[in-house]
Amino acid sequence: MSKLKENFNDKKMTAVIILSCLGIVSMLADIFSYKKALWYIVLAGVAGAIVANLNEKSNAIIYDMLLTDNYAIWFSTLILALVLLWFMVSKDQYESGVYNSSDNYALILFATVGALILTSFSDLTMMFLGIEILSIPLFILAGSNKKDVSSNEASLKYFLAGAFASGILLFGITFIYGSTGTFKLDKIADWANAAGSNLPALFYTGILLVMVGLAFKVSAAPFHFWTPDVYQGSPMFVTAFMATIVKGAAFAGFFRLFYTSFTSASGSWALILSILIAATILTGNIIAVYQSSVKRMLAYSSIAQAGYILLTVLLSNQEAKYALLLYIASYGVSTITAFTVLYHVEKIKGTDTFESFTSLSQTHPLLSVVMTIAMLSLAGIPPTIGFFAKFYLFSSVLKSNTSYLWLIMVSVAGSLVSVYYYFRVIIAMYGQHEPIISSEKKQIPAFYNVLLLLLVCVIIILGMMPDVLMSIDNL
Amino acid sequence: MEQIIFIILSLAAIISALVVIFSNNPVYSVLSLVITFFSIAGHFVLLNAQFLAIVNVIVYAGAIMVLFLFVIMLLNLNKSSEPSAPLIMKVASSVAGGLLFITLLGALRQSEASAGLSGGNIGSVESLGRTLFTNFLFPFEVSSVLFLSAMIGAVMLGKKNLKDS
Amino acid sequence: MLNLVFLIPLLPLTGFLILGSLNNRLPKTIVSFVGCGTVLGSFVIVLTLLSGTLSGTITSATISYFDWIYAGDLNLKMSFLIDPLSVLMMTIITGVGFLIHVYSAGYMHEDSGFVRYFAFLNLFVFSMLLLVMGSNYVVMFAGWEGVGLCSYLLIGFWFKKDAYNDAAQKAFVMNRIGDLGFLLGMILIFTTFGSLDYDDVFKNATSVLTENSGVAIAITLLLFIGATGKSAQIPLYTWLPDAMAGPTPVSALIHAATMVTAGIYMVVRSNILYSLAPFTLDVILAIGLATALFAASMGLFQNDIKKVLAYSTVSQLGYMFFALGLGAFSAGMFHVTTHAFFKALLFLGAGSVIHALHHEQDIRNMGGLSKKLPITFLTFLTATLAIAGIPPFAGFFSKDEILAAAYERSPVLWALGLAGALMTTFYMFRLLFVTFFGTFRGTDEQKHHLHESPLVMTIPLMVLALLSIIGGFIGVPEVLGGSNFLKNFLSSVIIPYGEKHEHLSHSTEWILMTTSTLAVIATIIMAYVIFVVKKSVPAEDNKISGLQKLIYNKYYVDEIYDTLFSKPVTFLSKIFHSVVESKIVDATVNAVGKAVSASSKILRLSQSGNISYYLYVMVIGIILILFINNIL
Repeated sequence: MSKLKENFNDKKMTAVIILSCLGIVSMLADIFSYKKALWYIVLAGVAGAIVANLNEKSNAIIYDMLLTDNYAIWFSTLILALVLLWFMVSKDQYESGVYNSSDNYALILFATVGALILTSFSDLTMMFLGIEILSIPLFILAGSNKKDVSSNEASLKYFLAGAFASGILLFGITFIYGSTGTFKLDKIADWANAAGSNLPALFYTGILLVMVGLAFKVSAAPFHFWTPDVYQGSPMFVTAFMATIVKGAAFAGFFRLFYTSFTSASGSWALILSILIAATILTGNIIAVYQSSVKRMLAYSSIAQAGYILLTVLLSNQEAKYALLLYIASYGVSTITAFTVLYHVEKIKGTDTFESFTSLSQTHPLLSVVMTIAMLSLAGIPPTIGFFAKFYLFSSVLKSNTSYLWLIMVSVAGSLVSVYYYFRVIIAMYGQHEPIISSEKKQIPAFYNVLLLLLVCVIIILGMMPDVLMSIDNL
Repeated sequence: MEQIIFIILSLAAIISALVVIFSNNPVYSVLSLVITFFSIAGHFVLLNAQFLAIVNVIVYAGAIMVLFLFVIMLLNLNKSSEPSAPLIMKVASSVAGGLLFITLLGALRQSEASAGLSGGNIGSVESLGRTLFTNFLFPFEVSSVLFLSAMIGAVMLGKKNLKDS
Repeated sequence: MLNLVFLIPLLPLTGFLILGSLNNRLPKTIVSFVGCGTVLGSFVIVLTLLSGTLSGTITSATISYFDWIYAGDLNLKMSFLIDPLSVLMMTIITGVGFLIHVYSAGYMHEDSGFVRYFAFLNLFVFSMLLLVMGSNYVVMFAGWEGVGLCSYLLIGFWFKKDAYNDAAQKAFVMNRIGDLGFLLGMILIFTTFGSLDYDDVFKNATSVLTENSGVAIAITLLLFIGATGKSAQIPLYTWLPDAMAGPTPVSALIHAATMVTAGIYMVVRSNILYSLAPFTLDVILAIGLATALFAASMGLFQNDIKKVLAYSTVSQLGYMFFALGLGAFSAGMFHVTTHAFFKALLFLGAGSVIHALHHEQDIRNMGGLSKKLPITFLTFLTATLAIAGIPPFAGFFSKDEILAAAYERSPVLWALGLAGALMTTFYMFRLLFVTFFGTFRGTDEQKHHLHESPLVMTIPLMVLALLSIIGGFIGVPEVLGGSNFLKNFLSSVIIPYGEKHEHLSHSTEWILMTTSTLAVIATIIMAYVIFVVKKSVPAEDNKISGLQKLIYNKYYVDEIYDTLFSKPVTFLSKIFHSVVESKIVDATVNAVGKAVSASSKILRLSQSGNISYYLYVMVIGIILILFINNIL
């Protein structure tokens, strides 16, 4: 306990401690009946964690397990900001009386602890623990709507596939440990540098198995099959959490591992990763075209987006860190916005198909504007943040290695296909007029109107000046 | 001597693992899985990792397999209610499993373990405990978050929805 | 005057926001007032800029508002470039745009989507202004995508007919292919120059790129692919004729006067890059000329009044690219300007006819309209004379400049260009004669209701007619005693290209001009004899045969595209959808779902075939990955 206090005074990993305690606080809300105030407590706690995280002692080595470099601090901040946003937009779902907010919030907060560990680990054990802490609450949250069969199904599928992937990941970690004799990222890198081009099969097989395990977590093809079912079955905001925060943290971890430890061995995995990327982009985008449910479309779109983000791992250089930060921020904010609108539309119309968006511009002009901006951002059309994220990413890949031109062409082609299904939503909202049923005119609470406007401002302002994120020194 | 024990244990592990897959009766499957775990525990002992051997028996063979048996008995699963997978699925899975085995074998055939790992006492209770509470103290404590969330999850899944929607 | 520049795009945007958010809560008069007023406001500010550039007080001004990105290598500003080229385009967009807005207030008055229509139109003007005003490729791309979206929304404006939605989708797909080129070109420019600002790129172009080097050709070709999509050139032109599904004023504004010229604007803007890639210019020349001839021949036998004009637009755009390919960038811009006047007029005139006949578009059911619709007839006649190139109408000067440039390169090119012009003359006069001369061939009821359009529609027609008459005088060539004002006006933006060719002597130019004018007049007489004296009316669809049928069916290009590209892609996508999705995933879930009761359903799902299928695919994936790695 004294050690803990010492750490706290030392400003080391305060955010992790705050969030863990917050999780316990929220878990006890039912017993001590302060559930009504819980939302405010959690919000204040997460905001406090953001402040604490920004004040975190930089480059501190914690038990030789975590390293709070700039990368860790900024990615943690981004994740926490997204979590804060998530708590704000998901308020309605957890007040509807179906879900018990105290349990759900506790699980979300614990998952966030896992996400923070994933951004700052310096040891493979911590990476594995981070992934598990992030995943296990999600297995349960996916099934949190117990009356809904598809929610149950989502939970079970996610769990089985996730356990399998964890097994593969562990397998890979053992191989790496077996050949290098260490779990520490920097020591593995030193070992690989010393080994030069003469890498033992045990080592690169390990890398590939770790890659497979992580590819599952970020839902890259052909390990993406669980994604559409799980995303569609889970409650709306759980899906939003999986698509943004979980994915963002998994990418932060993926990049951190490969950038720190495996760059010198890139000959053994770069080609395979580039094939995975191309496959992911093509599968995600092509299948998304024929969806009738917007939620499922967003699931496939998140697969496709994962393909783009994986380009940063392929690149694994200083520039790629900025590209990754920018992309996760852009994708995270836009996706949360889209899911929030979708939630309200589903609540009003009862379904989440493309038809439910028909003539939304007449009954809910604000919702349609917000959705339009979110779709434009996801499709990567200026002046939204999505465009810069994509543009910066593609051009940095091409600048560092022109032999990836084919991959960039696939990516650009894929993103142009994606314009089709993102625009389908816009066309449905604006292009069509149909007689309005009075029950569909129900407006959403003013709180969400303000919140959605705020999100739109973030998307556009970040699109106007992404250098806010790009000007971080020495990421 | 060690060689002979190794071969016996390995044969036991492989045969019982095959029985798990091929047995039509779920109870037989579970029981032979228990045998598999015991033979693997035997391997751990051979490698001088007594703690892991004990944990393997207690956790897997003891707790988890008993849970499996309970579930099977409570749900009254037996041959007739258990649909068997189509033949093509069986063939495909065997081929895939075999291929995975061969590729991994091919990849690892010529490799050898790192030099620093073959200490005599590496798996003993003492050295494991020492490592766990010194070098790996932090992960050890962080895993409490994992267990806590698993517990909350179990409780949450057991409860009903607040209000049936 | 430069401090008001930001208002130029902002006013239409405000219009869009007002109309878009107050959907259907405003009376129609206020809607048309807001819609037209915002564009008029922009037009007035543009006029002050125009007078500034004309008097020489503004030569080239970059107005930055804020740093867009300022990090690492990427350094972009949200800024506008005000120079003769952009001011010329802005004048066309806001000027012609305003007239078409006013016209629309009359044309669309009965439509239930009146507000929506004006909101989209304002958004379009905003995006188009962004496209031409930006001082870097990113702002241009923002506008480029914006006009694409508006065009898509407006083509499918009457969404209730499936064919219209198909047309909108076709336009969308074709434009996406073009955008692929534009985006890749942009990324390549950035990796080559480290910047996307016109200033940096054009200043360093000669030092970074060597003439006809691979990079120069790649950049220019990729950008040109973008242009072929937006400006409807071979092979991406088929969307434009189908885009006529939208309301007629939309066709006039977007698919004739402004948006489709975006590709030409982009090439002219990047003319420094293009002059470093003569190979690309040759490609543009070939494609432009081929499009001009091909589309003109398709216009010869069309019977839908708007389809004729659509093919004419494709053909005229081909003409403009032909000029660019010759290196005559200012001649291309000149034709953009005059074409904006007379083609907008033609479309609006056609709209007036369609309006009078209650949405009849087949010219075989028209005829003798000149007496009933005198203003429409006279203005339509003016535009037809202008497009045919009869002096001193606007089209004569711009077409003549292009033909002269062609003759400088080779007489064969000149002859081909003239052939295109003659075809244009023929089908335009065929259209005019069949529609306005002879006797009325429609139903009695239509005849009973025939009426001239209201003033709100005819005044824009008259203004445009005036412009079609005098518009050509901004570019009177030297030989006719002018000084080619436009060329000098644009000289600061366009570097001279192809100086190596001898300039034509005045006598040659006179001969060329007289020949082409006489040939045009002969063609008009031929059309007069066929359609007025002999009173022949185009045959019914099933009575045509041979070559005529081939042309009438647009050489079956749509059908060929359909089998070659669309079908395989749709097929692939359907396979993914129907086999992977429905057969394997959904079918298993459904089968399981129907077979058992709810409680056992939950239990069974845990061991149903599909999750094991997922895992199976994962295992296969791992095997492949390890396998690929081992053999490499």
